[in-house]
Amino acid sequence: MSHSTVPRSRAEAKKTDEKTGKKASASGGAAGPQGKRAGKLSLRLRFRRDRTLILMTLPAVALLLVFNYIPIFGNVVAFQDYDPYLSDNGFVAMFESPWIGLENFERIFQDSAFWHAVQNTFVLFTLQLVLFFPIPILLALVINSVIRPRVRAVAQAIMYLPHFFSWVLVVTVFQQIFGGAGIIAQTLRQHGYDGFDLMTDPGIFKFLVTAEGVWKDAGWGIIVFLAALSAVSNDLYEAAAMDGAGRWRRMWHITLPALRPVIALLLVLRVGDALTVGFEQLLLQRDSVGPGASEVLDTYVWWNGIRNQDFSYAAAAGLVKGVVGLALVLTANKVAHLMGEQGVYKK
Amino acid sequence: MTPNAASASSGPSRRSFLASTAVATAAVAGGMPLLAACGGGQEGNQDGTTSGKAAEKILPTFVASSVIVPDLPSKNGSSAGFTKAIDLNSLKTAVPKKLGSGSSLKIMAPMWGSPPSNDNPYYTAMNEAAGVKVTWQNQDGNTYDEKLGAVLASSDIPDVVVVPGWNLNGKIPSAVNAKFADLGPYLSGDKVKAYPNLAAVPTDAWQRGIFGGQLRGIPMPASYVPNIVPFYRKDIFDAKGYELPASPDEFLAWAKEATNAKGKVWACDDLKWSAFNIYGVLNGSDKALWWDLRDGKLVNRIETDEYLEALEWMRKLYAADVVHPDAKAVKGDASNRFTAGQSLVFNGDISYWYSTTAEQNIQKSDFEIGAFDIFGPDGGDPTIYATQPAGIFTFVSKKASKQQIKDFLALANYCASPYGTKEYMLTVYGVEGTDYTLKDGMPTKTTKGNNEVFGAYDYTGDPASYLAHPDLPEIAKAQVEWQQRMGAFTKKSSFYGLTITEPNRYTNLANDFEQLEDDVVRGRKKISDVQQAVSDWKAKGGDGLRDWYKKLLDDNGSAAN
Repeated sequence: MSHSTVPRSRAEAKKTDEKTGKKASASGGAAGPQGKRAGKLSLRLRFRRDRTLILMTLPAVALLLVFNYIPIFGNVVAFQDYDPYLSDNGFVAMFESPWIGLENFERIFQDSAFWHAVQNTFVLFTLQLVLFFPIPILLALVINSVIRPRVRAVAQAIMYLPHFFSWVLVVTVFQQIFGGAGIIAQTLRQHGYDGFDLMTDPGIFKFLVTAEGVWKDAGWGIIVFLAALSAVSNDLYEAAAMDGAGRWRRMWHITLPALRPVIALLLVLRVGDALTVGFEQLLLQRDSVGPGASEVLDTYVWWNGIRNQDFSYAAAAGLVKGVVGLALVLTANKVAHLMGEQGVYKK
Repeated sequence: MTPNAASASSGPSRRSFLASTAVATAAVAGGMPLLAACGGGQEGNQDGTTSGKAAEKILPTFVASSVIVPDLPSKNGSSAGFTKAIDLNSLKTAVPKKLGSGSSLKIMAPMWGSPPSNDNPYYTAMNEAAGVKVTWQNQDGNTYDEKLGAVLASSDIPDVVVVPGWNLNGKIPSAVNAKFADLGPYLSGDKVKAYPNLAAVPTDAWQRGIFGGQLRGIPMPASYVPNIVPFYRKDIFDAKGYELPASPDEFLAWAKEATNAKGKVWACDDLKWSAFNIYGVLNGSDKALWWDLRDGKLVNRIETDEYLEALEWMRKLYAADVVHPDAKAVKGDASNRFTAGQSLVFNGDISYWYSTTAEQNIQKSDFEIGAFDIFGPDGGDPTIYATQPAGIFTFVSKKASKQQIKDFLALANYCASPYGTKEYMLTVYGVEGTDYTLKDGMPTKTTKGNNEVFGAYDYTGDPASYLAHPDLPEIAKAQVEWQQRMGAFTKKSSFYGLTITEPNRYTNLANDFEQLEDDVVRGRKKISDVQQAVSDWKAKGGDGLRDWYKKLLDDNGSAAN
C-alpha cells in the first residue's frame, strides 16, 4: 500500500463502512459485499477505525458468549447417560457420566410422541407463516397512509400495547372472552342459544394459538416495516402522482418494492426459526387441549428434561431441533439469494 | 457409605414419584399439603427399600407425648382433633431447655405465598427460642421441582432442604441419597430421646424418612386417610332443597338437574381424584402405592377395571356439561369458582374445609361447606386405599457440620411441639401482641401475623398429625369425624408406608398417565387409548417393574398390617 493511496482508500473505506454499517444493522451484523475491499486494510487499522462500534457491541457479544456459545458445550450430555448428581456439582458430573453414543437419538426417533411434536410444530409454523406474517405488513401500510400524526401515534400505541402483556394475561383474557364460561358464551346463553367453547377444542387449537399471537404481536411487528417505509423518499410518490399513478399503483410500484428486502430478510429469519413456534403460550394451554394438540418440540424438550429430569434425552431432542433449524436457515438464505435479495448474510 | 446393615441386606431406598401437579395444586388450594408421595433412592445404583428388621435398627424409639390429651383422639388413622382453646396462662412447656447453640442454617423450602423479610419479629423470636440462626430461601411451591433439580446439581446446596414427596421425580431420589446426611447417628433408637418431640413422631412416619437405607428425612406426619375431600356448598344445597346424592348414578342425575349454565352455575368442578376413591382405585399419590398384591400377583392401578370405571364416570360428567367449563380448560382457581357459587361440588385438600370457612365467614355468614362421604360404585360402602403417612421431608446437607445438624434437630424438635404448649403457640401463631391478639380468649392473627406467620416453620419438624381449630371447633370435629368414617373403609396396599426407590430405567415409565387421564375424562381420548397405553407400558418395562416390585415384596415383606 503506497503512502499516497492510503488516505484515499481510508476515505473510501469509511464510505463503504457507512454502507455496510447500514446493511449490517439491517442484516444482523453480517459483512456486506464491500467487505472484501475493506479487508485490504490491516486488522489493526480496522480495529482502530471501528473501535467505537466494536466497543458498543461488546456487551451484546458478552451476553451471546455466556448464554449462547458456552452452553453449546453442554450438548455433550446428549451423547451421555447424564446424571447431574453423580458428583459434587452438575458440571463436573458431565465428565463422569457414562458415554452411550447415539442411544438417546435412537430413542427419540422411535418415540411416536416426538414425531407428533414435530408434526404439530410444522403445522403451527405453516399457519403462522400464512396467517400471521402478512398482517404486520398490511398494518404498516395502513398506518403509513395515515397522515395526521396524532391519530397515527394513538393507533400505533394501541397496536403496540398487547406486546407488553405476558402470555399468562393473554391466555386469561382469551379464556374470559372465548372460554366456555366466557363473555360470549354467557351472552349467547342468556339469549337462548347454546354456549360455545373455543378454548378446549383440540381441533381448532392451532388457529386459536395463531389468533393469540396476532393479537399480541402483530402490532409490534410493524415497527420494522414502518422504518423501511419512512426511508422511501416522498419525491418518488410525488413524481409518480404527477405521472398519473393512482393510489394502488403507487403502492404496487413504490411502497412494496421498498419493503421487499425487509420482507425477504424477515422471512428468512422466520423460516430459520420455524421450529420455535412458542413455548410459554403453548405450555400454559397444554392442559386445556391436551398434549395431543399442544405438544411442540420446545414443550417436548421441557417435558422430558425438566419434568422427567431426563436431561440427556432432552438435550438430544434439542440438538436435533438445532440441526434442523440450521439447515432451514441455510436453505432459506439460499432461496433469498436466488430471488436476488440480500438475505441474512452473503459470502 | 452406610454403616448400617440396612443397605447391605437390601437395596435401600425408595422410589418416588408422582403425585404430580394435580396433587401440588390440591395442596395449594388447601393451603397446607398433607399429601403423601415419596422418594428416596440410593447412592450408587442401588434401589429398593428398607423395612422389617433392617429398618428397626435405624428407626427412632417411639415415646408418646403426654403433654395434652386431644379432644378427639385419633381413630381409624384419622388426625387427632383439638377443639378447645388453651388459656395462655396454662400453656405447657415442651422444650424446657434451649437445645440449639446458635448455628447459622440456610434453609430452602417451598412457599405458597409471598415470603416475608428474613428479619421479621416472628422469625427472630423462633430463632431465638430454638437456638438457631435461620436464613430462609423460599421458592414458589408451584414450580419448586424445577428449582430443586438445579439446586441439587450445584455444589452449593443449602444446609437444609425441604422436599415435598410429589417433587421426588426422575433423578431427585438419587440426588437425595447422594447429597443429604444420615441422621441415624443422632436419632436412631434411644438417641432420639434427646429430642422428646421428635420421639413422639409416629414410627410409620419415620419409616418413610428412610432414604437409601439411611434415616435422612424428618417427616411431616399425615393421616393415611386420603386427604382429598369432595366438598359441597351446604348453604346452597339447603336453600335449593337438594338431597345429597349417594351413588355415582344419583350424582350424575342430580348434577344435570343442578346445572344452570345460563345462570353461570355448574354442578361440579373436576372430580377425578374423588372418582378414583369412589371406585376403589389404588392410591395415586405415590408410585409404590400404585401396586397391590392380588391373588398372588402384583397389580398396578392402571391395569384395574376400577381405574377405567372411574375415568368413564368422570367422562360422563364432562360429556353431560355439568362440569364448570373453566375446569375443562384447567384455567383459573377451582376454589374461587366454588366460593363464588359457580360450582357446587369440588374436591380439595381437607385443610380447605377450615381455611375457606374462616375466610368466607368474614364476608358472608351463611357460607357453609359440607363434605360428601365417599360412596361406593353402587352406592354401598366404598373401598378406599390409604395414602402415605408422611408426604413432606426435610433433609440436611452432607456438608453440614455436626453442630449444624444438632442445631437443626433442635429446631425440628421445637417446631414439633404439640398443641397446647407455648412452643406451639409461637410456631403457629407467632409473637403475642404483634402477630396475634386474644379475642374472647381466642388467639386471632393480626394482618402482620397473616403475612408473616405461615409456611416457613411448617415443614421443619411436626408432631403427629392433628387438626386444631379452637376458633371453629365444629369444623375441626367435622374434619376428624370425616377421616374416621372414611378411615373405616380405608385399606393399606402392599407397599404402604415404605419409601421405595425404583431403578432409574423405570422412573419415567408411567409419567404420561396423568395427562392421558385428563385427556380421557375431557373426551379428547377414548378409554381404549388407556388400554393401549397400558399394554405399551407393560411392553416398555411395566412387566419388568412388576417383577422388581415382587422381588422387593418377597425380600422385605409388607409394612402394612
